[in-house]
Amino acid sequence: MLSELAAAIISFSLGSNNTSNAFGIPVGCGILSFRTALVLIGIFVTIGSLHRKVMETVGSLTNLNKTLAVVVLVISATMIIFSNWKKLPVSSHQVIVGSIVGAGFAVGIVRFKILIPIVVSWFVSPIGAMFLSIVIYSIIEKFISAYSIFVVERFLFFFLIFSGILVAYNTGANELASALAPLVYSKLMSPLEASLLGSISFFVGALLMGGRVIETVGKNITVLDPLSGFSAQFSAGLTVFFFTNIGMPVSTTYSLVGGIVGVGILKGINSVKFSLIKKILAAWVLAPTTSFLLTYLIVRGW
Amino acid sequence: MKFLKKFLFGESEQEVIKLFDEHFELVKMSCEVFLMALETDDKGLLNQVCELEKRGDKIRREIALKLYSGAFLPALRGTLYKLAETVDEILDMLEDTAIDYLRLNLHLDNEIREMCIRVAKINVKMGRDLLEAFRALKTGKGLENTTLKIRTREREIDVLRNRIYESLIKKEVKNYWEGKILSDFIDHLAYISDLIEDSADLIQILNVSLR
Repeated sequence: MLSELAAAIISFSLGSNNTSNAFGIPVGCGILSFRTALVLIGIFVTIGSLHRKVMETVGSLTNLNKTLAVVVLVISATMIIFSNWKKLPVSSHQVIVGSIVGAGFAVGIVRFKILIPIVVSWFVSPIGAMFLSIVIYSIIEKFISAYSIFVVERFLFFFLIFSGILVAYNTGANELASALAPLVYSKLMSPLEASLLGSISFFVGALLMGGRVIETVGKNITVLDPLSGFSAQFSAGLTVFFFTNIGMPVSTTYSLVGGIVGVGILKGINSVKFSLIKKILAAWVLAPTTSFLLTYLIVRGW
Repeated sequence: MKFLKKFLFGESEQEVIKLFDEHFELVKMSCEVFLMALETDDKGLLNQVCELEKRGDKIRREIALKLYSGAFLPALRGTLYKLAETVDEILDMLEDTAIDYLRLNLHLDNEIREMCIRVAKINVKMGRDLLEAFRALKTGKGLENTTLKIRTREREIDVLRNRIYESLIKKEVKNYWEGKILSDFIDHLAYISDLIEDSADLIQILNVSLR
């Protein structure tokens, strides 16, 4: 029961924080109402959560039994609640992976053949999104110069929504799947049951807290023009989609930051907020390390 | 089906574009009617200019409502509304000029009248250019030539306005009010071209936004 509750808390937290990744720009721009965004996120996160590849990778990092799954999920949920409270930009899947690896080390089973590609994908995904956003921005900029402004407006309208849907799907297939992996691979729940629990908790999180986060992201992101916003989001969406399909758990938020940095570099290096990037980098290193150490120490001391 | 049409083809957006088309047509028509009124001293035509202003007002309100109901991306809405307001100001200014002329009892000194007709003729050309500029914006064709023509014509009107004043100060006026109304009439007539130029600038801003 404790592990299901912890997984539900993580999914709830994903719903409250990650709704803005998918629909922060369209809702902030007034293209979609929050209600429509909620419906879309509910549908596509659920569809995404049925995707098994990332779940399989995360669940196979070690031999998870029921006790280990409870420890991993409780520590991860506690860390995520703490980081939300302290407003730290922590990625939940990094916390979960760090925690599973910590548990694996404690019991002496860690599959490095799986762990190494995961860590490499953590490096590659934001950098990939950064380069992809530069390419996407340049191509679209060239493409739209031949069309009327009203055609360009329609193009951006559709692609902002499409991009939001892609990110919503990725959230279900990648970040939510990472959170549910310990439940499924310790045989506490079937994949379908875990997917239902995760999707419902995610939706409740989005419903109760997503609006507030969307408002913040939407207001902050309006400094980006629609083309830059779209290029950053779409490149992040494509990057995470690619990694999801090869079964690698990567962060949409970090890929989105990579995408924004890419557009920022293209438009002039001064527009990139390096202080914020430093803070994100610190969290990027500290989150998996802390969850790794905490779980390792607790499991060893048990 | 209605939802799909609205979603896929941008029903509200198409309606706003159609309303803008009507708005620009009204400007062109109002400039033409005013010129005819000035040439023929026809009171009925001057009243028609006032009627066209009312229609313009209605169109501006409809555009505002549609924009604030969510037509177009927010990055465009502000400039589109500003454009609707400026186009409406052109029609307001034409109405003010028509009223000034009625207050002057359709009487102007021949030399002044001739120059005013020249200004009104240029305004007609500028009204047509503005419609052409908006249609170029719609189709994605180049705007530069049309907006350049508008700027050149506006400068032409500035020169004419100065010449009208040079002649005007040599003329006798019966009283303060006659002088004031005459001066207002000339200022309003010349200011129409400034507003047309402002609208053309906004069209050019729209053309480069989102890119």
